[in-house]
Amino acid sequence: MSKKNIYFEDVELGDDIGPVTRTVKSDQVFEFVSLREPDPNPSRFTSEEAAKKEGLPNAIVPGAMNIALMSQILTDWSPTVCLKKIDVVFRGMVPHEKSLVFSGIVTDKDESGDSTDLECDIVMENQEGVRLVIGHAEFALPSRP
Amino acid sequence: MLLDLHTHSIASDDSRASVEQYVRWVGVLRKKGHCIDGFVLTEHRQFNHDVDYSTLSEANEILILKGSELDTDCGHFLVYGVTKEITEQIDFSNVNMHAEDLVEICDQMGAIAIPAHPGRSGIGFAEYLAGGRKGFDTIEIVEGLNGSNRPGEGEKAQDLIKSKGYKSIGGSDAHIVSAIGTCMTRFTEDVKDESDLVNKLREGLFRPVRLEESKEQ
Amino acid sequence: MTTDEGIKYDRSLLGVEHPIGTFDVTKKMIVGFARSTGETDTKFIGTPDGTGEVVAPSTICNIFVNGVTRPDINLEFGDLSFFAGQSIECKSEIKPGDTLSATTRLEEVYAKTGRSGKMVFAVWQTTFSNQNDEIVALVNESFVRRNRSK
Repeated sequence: MSKKNIYFEDVELGDDIGPVTRTVKSDQVFEFVSLREPDPNPSRFTSEEAAKKEGLPNAIVPGAMNIALMSQILTDWSPTVCLKKIDVVFRGMVPHEKSLVFSGIVTDKDESGDSTDLECDIVMENQEGVRLVIGHAEFALPSRP
Repeated sequence: MLLDLHTHSIASDDSRASVEQYVRWVGVLRKKGHCIDGFVLTEHRQFNHDVDYSTLSEANEILILKGSELDTDCGHFLVYGVTKEITEQIDFSNVNMHAEDLVEICDQMGAIAIPAHPGRSGIGFAEYLAGGRKGFDTIEIVEGLNGSNRPGEGEKAQDLIKSKGYKSIGGSDAHIVSAIGTCMTRFTEDVKDESDLVNKLREGLFRPVRLEESKEQ
Repeated sequence: MTTDEGIKYDRSLLGVEHPIGTFDVTKKMIVGFARSTGETDTKFIGTPDGTGEVVAPSTICNIFVNGVTRPDINLEFGDLSFFAGQSIECKSEIKPGDTLSATTRLEEVYAKTGRSGKMVFAVWQTTFSNQNDEIVALVNESFVRRNRSK
């Protein structure tokens, strides 16, 4: 399905981005970890047992993968989004195979410079509403032609 | 008067919101019909005497006050009415600060120390009292409503409030722009500055409110 | 202000720039990264027949920053380490065929307390430049060390 182009003028402060519900599969995590370690050793990311040995309740999604997922709340919102900066704080462990809710809210608009820029808060929550990752992103949207 | 008594700007390591962004967001909330008259910046483990928000405050008709959130051996404490004498006497960056000393110094020097998010594990006052910590006879207020609590933490705070007869304040504990004002404190009289905030807290004429309740006025 | 007083670590590393390697960016790498993070945009994953140009998602540098060995700061605290936060500032597009070089430096070490007790944070700033000496990404990462839960 093709996504709708969103332009700078279409967006107001307080506009919602998402929410989008996603589940990170264990296979996906394994694939991600394998990118830098072709035959990965069992770790807190890939093995329940290894995670439990470290006192974690279950295997977790790597932070490096979480920030990629967080960035997609914006790039999936509109093909016109040009992401400039993403800045996140990991506040809780992100589990595999559980529903996660990603959302954003537009907090700033600026057309005083060379480009038409926006800022937003971004959040990843679990099903209980606990904020597992919070952050902030800066991006540009083109002006309506 | 409605004040958010617990917020963090980018001066705190784990916040991603600037003071200017908070001010603009208050404008968004006001357009939606919410009442929010100001907020207190309670940066983690620090207090900056030099930073002055009076111009920003006046231009936007919003009260911006400064406080601090300190790490102690009995959890986190919100401190209002911080003076140079206090920062000379206490090392704000000390994460093992003796909580009774902090409370006593604040009491003596015209400030007030209030346990933040008391229902949290590890950094909440309730856990330490339950563990047998004594003292704290002058504490009369805790942060009963915190916008960043996890399930169960607010209930634990309410249990503490009921059992000890504490008064309760509210704060968002905002670390991102859109979180400001989610929990606040409603004062029956206007607060003018940091010193006046301490007086109004000592007088006890306030109650915690959620953002949804700020549309009542 | 947060201070690092009382935390034992190798302070000589503070602010010192360390080269951490060069990395060749391939189409396979970009598509693999994009697919593993559930990306569906053909801009990042290419067309189903494997043809078509791709560009890297903004967070691609994470393949490299997490694979490198940073200098050991010899921190004498805690027995568990976690990724605590990250910012990525995208300065320029990263494409297949690029060769990136990275340098990193220790910015800050500080302590705080949280739900899991006392924690010590180490903050690193990593700069990625391409073959034209153009900075393509600035990555700021925070790692936390704490004690295992009892």
